[in-house]
Amino acid sequence: MSESSGISRAQVAVIYLVLTMAIASGIAIYSSATTFTALLKTATAGLFLPILLAMIVAFMLDPLIRQIEHYGIHRTLAIFTIYLIISATIIVLLVLIGPPNWRGMIQALKADVPRYVSFAIVYLTGLLELAQQHFPFIAEYHLGDHLRNLSQTLIGAILVQTPRSAMRFGSLLVLVPLFSFFFLRDSRRIMRGIIALTPNRYFEMVLDIYAHVSWQLSTFIRGRIIEAIIVGLVVWAGLALTDIRYAPLLAVIAGITNLVPYVGPIFGMLPGITIALVDLGIGPQFWWILCVYILIAQVIVDNMILIPILISKVSNLHPLWVILAIIMGGKLYGILGMIIGVPIASVINIIILEIRQYRRTFNPYNRYFSSRGKML
Amino acid sequence: MSSNPIWHNIFRHQAEKESLSYFLSQVPIFAKLTRRELAYLEKLIHIRNFEAHEMVFSGGDIGSGMYIIRSGQVQIFSQDADGREQELALLEAGDFFGEVALTASRPRSASARAATATSLLGLFRSDIVDATQRHPAPTAKILFGLNRVLADRLLQCDEQLERLQRASRTPQEPSHE
Repeated sequence: MSESSGISRAQVAVIYLVLTMAIASGIAIYSSATTFTALLKTATAGLFLPILLAMIVAFMLDPLIRQIEHYGIHRTLAIFTIYLIISATIIVLLVLIGPPNWRGMIQALKADVPRYVSFAIVYLTGLLELAQQHFPFIAEYHLGDHLRNLSQTLIGAILVQTPRSAMRFGSLLVLVPLFSFFFLRDSRRIMRGIIALTPNRYFEMVLDIYAHVSWQLSTFIRGRIIEAIIVGLVVWAGLALTDIRYAPLLAVIAGITNLVPYVGPIFGMLPGITIALVDLGIGPQFWWILCVYILIAQVIVDNMILIPILISKVSNLHPLWVILAIIMGGKLYGILGMIIGVPIASVINIIILEIRQYRRTFNPYNRYFSSRGKML
Repeated sequence: MSSNPIWHNIFRHQAEKESLSYFLSQVPIFAKLTRRELAYLEKLIHIRNFEAHEMVFSGGDIGSGMYIIRSGQVQIFSQDADGREQELALLEAGDFFGEVALTASRPRSASARAATATSLLGLFRSDIVDATQRHPAPTAKILFGLNRVLADRLLQCDEQLERLQRASRTPQEPSHE
């Protein structure tokens, strides 16, 4: 420090110390923040699915509870009544039909999945060879190996995950009714509390927009779930007419994948088609199954009957957003994320559209902002 | 027990007079509601606190509900193109305003501003719409009360209009009122 500037050695030392401390504390804050988010992530890891399912259950049960409330019954009592009816129905069904044979089903799946996958591999390799004859430049790609690896991981996952997922299923059985009970009972109060925080001059607008958005959202979610259930039931009924195995499981897959527009139904019918090809071969039954999946479930029931009735045009997403939502959802939460990515994107879409709609229809001359701005 | 003023004061009167539902039962719109219905109404109402000179709403805004003054004063005024204000009314505790917007989203016809620090009870359309589905009977009573008050005002308006028309038809004749 031999420059002629007025900084003495002590001052340099102080500056040096301060800078070091600043950097150190910055790093400390940053690292503690990342550990904090990591902690938060670990703490909430298993909660995502139960909360999501509980919200869906709450949305589905709300109209029923409103019906009961009509008779002047307190909401809590109404919720308990609905819970009682549902659990009674499940118990009666279990007694009448008997509990499903989970063990047998899983054993059979363990044996059958490799068979189906190896068939698919043989079939796809054949296709690839055919393609290679016409387009020699794709010779490098070993599709068979890729698929074999994939199937091995899948089988391994089924073997390892079954007991674990049984435990998770048990916890869901406890958590989902509990969460949905509180959502049903207190969501109104919680939302009122949150809305009450808005400043006076935006309060009316926020209240109105919230009412619109929540109405749109509940119709949308209810519509999507009912649509998935009906499509699943139709697929089940159609498949039950044939000799195909795992009809209930395939119906569940078809129903759940139906939540994803455009792409979902295609992936939903792949397992069914594969099983039909392997077990039944190409024959009248195979064509019937194909017909059930595409023509009856998708074209007639879904596109011609359910979507016009249940889903409003408002919630239509552009196909590009659908694909983006699937990819991003998959990156975040795996297969679950792929399925729920699109509904969540639609929910965000509905919120944005409603706010824009509100501002356009309710403020035709943009008076809201100008008049308030002028007077205050 | 009601004969004994001490018991009366301790157990009922005091607490009841300060409660929100007692206050609501004094508002003409809700005069005919039972105690239980008032308790339900309490759940629909939003309590909003305004500072002195804070705007409640401005004329031309799209309204979404009515306000009842619990404490404080609210000044209702209109504004001409130059921004000059003309006071239309000064409302006190127990008065209500903005009731036209409760059933239909219409622009506010005048502006409202808190003259002093004011506590308002807001009753809004979205809550009423929700309540008609969940508890139709008390909601019908609330809307009936609102209708009664609106009808009274319409009647007064008609009378005033008639008086004005009569006065304008015979301008030379001095008015008898």
